[in-house]
Amino acid sequence: MSLQRFILKRTLSIIPIMFGVSVITFGLFHLTPGDPVTRLVALNPDVSAAEEAALRERWGLSGPVWQQYLEWISNVLVGDFGLELQTGREVSDIVWRRLPETIALGLFGWAFALIIAIPAGIYAAVNKDQLGDTVSRFLALSGISIPNFWLGLMLILIFSLYLGLFPVLAPSRQSLISPEMLWYLLLPGITIGTASAASIMRVMRTSMTEELNKEYVTAARAKGLPERTVILKHVLRNSLISVVTLAATLTASIVAGSVVVETVFNWPGLGREFINAINQREINVVMAITLFTGFFVILANLVADIVYAALDPRIRYD
Amino acid sequence: MPSRHNASNNNQTINRRNVIATIGAAGAASLAGCGGQSDGGDGGDGSDGSDGGDGELFPLDVQLEVNADNSDRLQMVELIAESMEQTGYFNTTVETYEWNTYVGRVLDPEYQNNGYVPCIGLSGTFNPGSFCNALHHSSNIGACCNLNGISDSELDEMMDDARYGVEVAEDSELRGERYDEVWNYLAEERYSSITHFNLATSVSNTDIHGFEMWPFQEGMYSYNMFAPQDEQIMWIDRDNAAGDSDLSDLTEGGTMSIAIGANIESFDPPHSSDTTSTLAQGFIYEGLIANDTQGNVHPWLAESYELIDTTDVDRTAYADYMSTVGTTEEGAVDTDEQVIVQHPEDSPAEDDEVRVLLPDDAVEAAEDGTYGMQYRYNLQEGVEFHNGDELTAEDVVATYEYAENSVLAPQTFDSVLTAVEVDEYTVDIYAQVADAEAERSLPALSILNATQIGEVEKGTIDPREGNTPIGTGPYEFSEFEDEQYFEVTKFDNYWTEQKGVSEAFSWFDGSSDFPDGPVIDGFEVEIVPDDSTRSGALQNGEIDSTYGLNSSTLDEFDSSEDFLLYEIETGGYEYIQYPVNVAPFDDARLRQAINHLIPRERIVENVFSGYGRPAWTPIPQLAQGSGTADAEALEDELRPMNEYNVERAEELLEQVAADN
Repeated sequence: MSLQRFILKRTLSIIPIMFGVSVITFGLFHLTPGDPVTRLVALNPDVSAAEEAALRERWGLSGPVWQQYLEWISNVLVGDFGLELQTGREVSDIVWRRLPETIALGLFGWAFALIIAIPAGIYAAVNKDQLGDTVSRFLALSGISIPNFWLGLMLILIFSLYLGLFPVLAPSRQSLISPEMLWYLLLPGITIGTASAASIMRVMRTSMTEELNKEYVTAARAKGLPERTVILKHVLRNSLISVVTLAATLTASIVAGSVVVETVFNWPGLGREFINAINQREINVVMAITLFTGFFVILANLVADIVYAALDPRIRYD
Repeated sequence: MPSRHNASNNNQTINRRNVIATIGAAGAASLAGCGGQSDGGDGGDGSDGSDGGDGELFPLDVQLEVNADNSDRLQMVELIAESMEQTGYFNTTVETYEWNTYVGRVLDPEYQNNGYVPCIGLSGTFNPGSFCNALHHSSNIGACCNLNGISDSELDEMMDDARYGVEVAEDSELRGERYDEVWNYLAEERYSSITHFNLATSVSNTDIHGFEMWPFQEGMYSYNMFAPQDEQIMWIDRDNAAGDSDLSDLTEGGTMSIAIGANIESFDPPHSSDTTSTLAQGFIYEGLIANDTQGNVHPWLAESYELIDTTDVDRTAYADYMSTVGTTEEGAVDTDEQVIVQHPEDSPAEDDEVRVLLPDDAVEAAEDGTYGMQYRYNLQEGVEFHNGDELTAEDVVATYEYAENSVLAPQTFDSVLTAVEVDEYTVDIYAQVADAEAERSLPALSILNATQIGEVEKGTIDPREGNTPIGTGPYEFSEFEDEQYFEVTKFDNYWTEQKGVSEAFSWFDGSSDFPDGPVIDGFEVEIVPDDSTRSGALQNGEIDSTYGLNSSTLDEFDSSEDFLLYEIETGGYEYIQYPVNVAPFDDARLRQAINHLIPRERIVENVFSGYGRPAWTPIPQLAQGSGTADAEALEDELRPMNEYNVERAEELLEQVAADN
């Protein structure tokens, strides 16, 4: 199968997946009790039962679930994600406004993970079973084990509160692409990237160790190539394949992590919006963010598949 | 958000064993039937087969219910349960629910038949009715918040008589006495137990001078900027620490940075009711009147006001002006117009058609002389809006029309009949019935600009909708980034500065040093939901002040010299309510006994780290102005009935047991 056909096939498969995601999320959401009306007026002594019913009708929350779903999906298919009920604002505006913040944080965390993990993995593999390897493996295990909310709180406690090096508040007046932004991104970026860095490092080390034992490495060394060239030109490229898969899969965990990390760091991104929307029972916002992140994760996996081919021309798509 | 209670984490957890060791040792001897699992269902068949206790009834299975996300409240309920359990008369179970589940559950009209004891919190106001009506009035069954179906026509009448009618509307002394009767009646009948009144706190650094906490959180910053009615002014002095500073030390200028706990839902006053929206609007808008910290009313945008007429009508008097409209399947009135009055004898849930008074009908009724009260407001002349318009009667009338079908409509049109322009600077506002609360509740809206109202769609006076909020207030809207921050800057043509404070307010009798308007140049308000982040930002010097921190952090700030801690009773309270329609809870003595087992002082000290006040009476200080004839006498009378008293409780329980 050609690459074009592969991409086409995978792209088409997005449709049933997204449909499944939307049905499941919509259904689960309706299993949770309460709606925006409960949030808004149910405990207000001034609001009567009749007024509550009127509000529910106005917001389209009174019909059966399937009817609400059909109405929602038919709007989504023409690009209308609806309104945030309690404020009457366009959901797509909300998502677009929050998106850059989350992308900035995610990219930073992702870059942090790769920059730390790949050299560390190489170093550990080359110096296998020596002190440096043991230390980096220990750190990697800790990185995977530490919950990111805890790590975030500890970083704030040490670097912001005790040492006063970083601001506690999230950026609100800075432009996203500016030198000061680095100052704001560092702690949440490290928090979101640590677990990924740790997994990537471990995979990097394992696959590199495997490659190093292969015959072509011995041959390269025997032919008198400098060790540097052997590692960086030959071994690294071959060991990167599994790292690429993982790095793509990890975008999912970075997206998921952003929900927690954005809450801890008060970061004005999609993750925080998502939590808010769930608490406020804002179904349209929840659905839009779920669809969007779902789409994004599928896309990341597709990209990973394509990058495979670039790294290893032997890989065929079928 | 309707509930203003922060689920602040309290790390001073209660050790259950400790509780068992210290509470009610007296009851330990009769500790029978331990471990009995309550199904809570039929209270009448409460005994679980245990042969301990006295006769059939005890030990009685009691299920207490609470929302799980509020850890403080949960601890409180566990403390009460433990205390009951210790007498040996009760087997208690504490059930917890997620907030939305819980609200749906307790507001179900069927809930009263289950025999459970629910616990929730509400926010009261200066209106004493907010501490009894919501809980006990039969009209609030299945709504907020008469959860266990208390339907006592004698009590309903007493509560109505304390607020409505010509007599109480004209005689505040009588009103206090009527409420005293209500409190005494409630103490005897004991349908519910208010446990405590919340204290709200705020912390600022010592650069901020003249800060005092205001009774309500939403007024916390805006009332501090400039409140001649309390002779309150806030200023910034970064060189000298706040403490004993007085007006002669006042420094002008500076920008104050504060952090608040939630996003601004809307800058459109009648289309939002959450705390932080009200707080933000407090900078920009003003009302016809202003309250002081005691709840007394002072004319503000109105230079003066007077009660012109009170008549003895009830809501059926509007029948002749009413229109007949249909109802929907959901039990709502089928009209797009605001229902000002619904005929008390019709029910949209049961009838296909109901009689309702619509806005135009209301104007007609008022003009014909059918109204409860007529208040006349004489507006200040020369008050300028941020867009340069001058305030006139037209703005006020437009404001009341704009409130139709808004979030604030239910509470506005609970008392307001209509607002009618008399001349350019005079407006009459009519009340539906003679209402002792009218002086405060009729002029409660923030006055908007008629030009703006004419240009925008309802509910869109908000920067996110491309509309800049325009009021007459001391600060102009400047910038807003959704969920991140907003900024306001001083309005150069603020009317009190033009007139001078003693000229603007005839009632002002404060110091001649008192400034003519706020002195701080601007406010930067960061929106930071997480309380530990707010507290960190304050410590880190990124903000000057914040509120709603958890109690353990508060103690740290309290003991620091660099910060000042303020606390005040805000009217927030929590209560449990007895299932009075299910035996044996229909016996008042049982309810009184449980009330005596509520360790109010311990709750406040241990669960709320002292940031609360035990509810010795059902009204907090802020409602005492109109809610009692004599607060001290009331407390002397009621406190013994609300104190933790195991002996008295057991005596009552013995009586209940003997009669069964």
